[in-house]
Amino acid sequence: MEHRHARYPFLGDARRAVQEAGVDLVEVVREEDAVVERATERVTSAIADRDVGESVASDRVELLSYPVARVVVSLVDENVCTRYYAEAEASRAAERFREDFGRQDGRAAITRAALLREFDLGDAVTPQRDGGFHVGVAAYLRYASSLRGDEWRLVNRALDAGDVPVSEPELDDLLREAVEERVKDGLPLSVPDAIGDALDEPVASIRETLADLDLTREIDTVVPDLFPPCMQHLLDAVQRGDHLAHHSRFALTAFLGNIGLSTDEIVELYEVNPGFGEEMTRYQTDHIKGESSPTEYTAPSCATMQAYGDCVNPDALCEHISHPLGYYEAKIDDADEEELEDWREEREAE
Amino acid sequence: MEERTRAYLRGRFSDYYRRADVPLPPSADEREWGFIPWTEGPDETMVRHRDLLDLGEMGAFLRRKRPRHVYFSAGRYETPGASTMAEKEWLGADLVFDIDADHLPTVTLGEDTYAEMLAKSKDALVKLLDFLERDFGFDDLSVVFSGGRGYHVHVRDESVFPLERDERREVVDYVRGNGLGFDELVHEETVSGLGVKNPTTRRTLPADGGWGRRAVAHIDDFVDELLAMDERDALLHLRTFDGVGEKNAEAVLNVVQNNTEAVRSGNVDVHPAFLNVARQLLAETVETEEAPIDEPVTTDTHRLIRLPGSLHGGSGLAVTPIERDGVADFDPLVDAVPETFIGHDIRVAVEREYELAMRGETITVAPGEQTLPEYAGVFLMARGWAEKAAE
Repeated sequence: MEHRHARYPFLGDARRAVQEAGVDLVEVVREEDAVVERATERVTSAIADRDVGESVASDRVELLSYPVARVVVSLVDENVCTRYYAEAEASRAAERFREDFGRQDGRAAITRAALLREFDLGDAVTPQRDGGFHVGVAAYLRYASSLRGDEWRLVNRALDAGDVPVSEPELDDLLREAVEERVKDGLPLSVPDAIGDALDEPVASIRETLADLDLTREIDTVVPDLFPPCMQHLLDAVQRGDHLAHHSRFALTAFLGNIGLSTDEIVELYEVNPGFGEEMTRYQTDHIKGESSPTEYTAPSCATMQAYGDCVNPDALCEHISHPLGYYEAKIDDADEEELEDWREEREAE
Repeated sequence: MEERTRAYLRGRFSDYYRRADVPLPPSADEREWGFIPWTEGPDETMVRHRDLLDLGEMGAFLRRKRPRHVYFSAGRYETPGASTMAEKEWLGADLVFDIDADHLPTVTLGEDTYAEMLAKSKDALVKLLDFLERDFGFDDLSVVFSGGRGYHVHVRDESVFPLERDERREVVDYVRGNGLGFDELVHEETVSGLGVKNPTTRRTLPADGGWGRRAVAHIDDFVDELLAMDERDALLHLRTFDGVGEKNAEAVLNVVQNNTEAVRSGNVDVHPAFLNVARQLLAETVETEEAPIDEPVTTDTHRLIRLPGSLHGGSGLAVTPIERDGVADFDPLVDAVPETFIGHDIRVAVEREYELAMRGETITVAPGEQTLPEYAGVFLMARGWAEKAAE
């Protein structure tokens, strides 16, 4: 196992090195406390500090802690944990590869060309004379569509003949997304009991950290006052009994579903509207939430809301977000935990 | 629709399929198939979740079932005949586009004739093809007349196959100009020139691709127009822009006359007053150049779409594949009229007066029973505007 594998444990090479060394994961989690400890730290730091913590001196421990961390994340099996973990691994990797790409002494652990090949981007990315790059449009979309910020939207790019021009730092941002996707790939893994049992303790401690930070509830809190102006507007309209266009109703329902409302709760929220048809609302809601259809739909982005004329009264925060859910998350983050009153609890208290 | 009409159309669709050679799309066995039979009443119930094995050999199936409408999925699946999407196991999907007169901003339903709607659809198609070929670089497009009021484009480039819903959404936003931002589009560079104490920035619209290229071309036309006018008209024209008064109009005309090349090249910082005009020119560019596609068709990775070569049961016209270099000359009201329906006359009973332009002739139809060329009779009956009369 080389230092490079410990530095970039998500590489196919690193995985092969682990396989070739004949490592038995059951034995590792039972007997190598240092590996389990470092794996736990990777995940705990990811949740608490959005970072995977300091590397340890032993390349072997550092490398093996990565597959073990993915197993731990699988056992915890909470979306927010998986997401923060993948983001933290990707950020760490990006710091490192940016450093490596900048090295002039020939001692870089990896080159940009090698990393591009790792993600099958060797053919899709071509360097340009001006120091920038051209990225094939399909590869661009795969990684840029999850990036926030209007400058990443394809519509604002000088697409020509199937290529999107990007700057060097932008290409590295896309590579960061590729790493994040790789880390998340296949999660949650199905973990054999022999491994799962040995990890009971770290999993419990991570669950505790999650509970302390109250991250899982973060977006599960329903406070209409903190809704972005567009969604407040739509909700008011529904409750007033106004007829909403299909796309507007879709946007609101998807938004409510995404922040954690059940179909029953959405129906209840709409019920104030005298002209509301419960059956139809239930059907639509189940469909949008993915309960009666193959997809759980995500609420439309700000760009789409604007395109449909559903973006009303944007405020200062709107300028900094690109998605209504981002607005809500930011508001919830800012609000004092104690002061948040979940709409549902309010109802129950009545 | 009366039973006699339905029976007639059923029989003639069957005759069409006996003569027609309907080729299968690529990877036909990985696709879901669906069709709508000729049934009583206004309800159209689609039979779907079929795979190719369920249908059997396509030609025989079409001759036997002579369906009113036939569809196949843009998506490809491990088990296309499974009854839920989850069980089908999605492998990927063609990227499909639908241009339908119903969704065109230029079409006024109820006012435009069918021929006018088709002409406007064709304009939209040409804009779409420009995006797909010049910007996206797709070279193997399959262009199809839908048999109804528009066109379909199927892109089967390997790279688009795995694109998910969100990624397809970006393609839609691109061709429609949704979310296009002036400030995101411009490139900023720092200029430290002679006589400039502090470095300033200069913003330009990128002329080498994307919406920037379209905006620069639009600005170029705007410059031509302005320079062709006499000064008084040019100033009046400029004052039609929001926020442009007498002074600003003079300033803009001045930079257009004296700094023409910089303006033409997309430099928007030639003068603060021009910046405002440039923003409005970009908005105009979107209005005139967007491709008004039916958005959900493109974002839906499970969409069913009409089978090229089949008949459209609401018009009796053939869903017609068009060679790429034949798009300009294609006339659906000539080229999509099935041979089977040419050369015979039939008796039909029509409700009200219509004017049809088919096969290069204008046919005026009066209310009541009459003899018409079969293709015109089939068209009216399929649309629900006429019934079959006894011969």
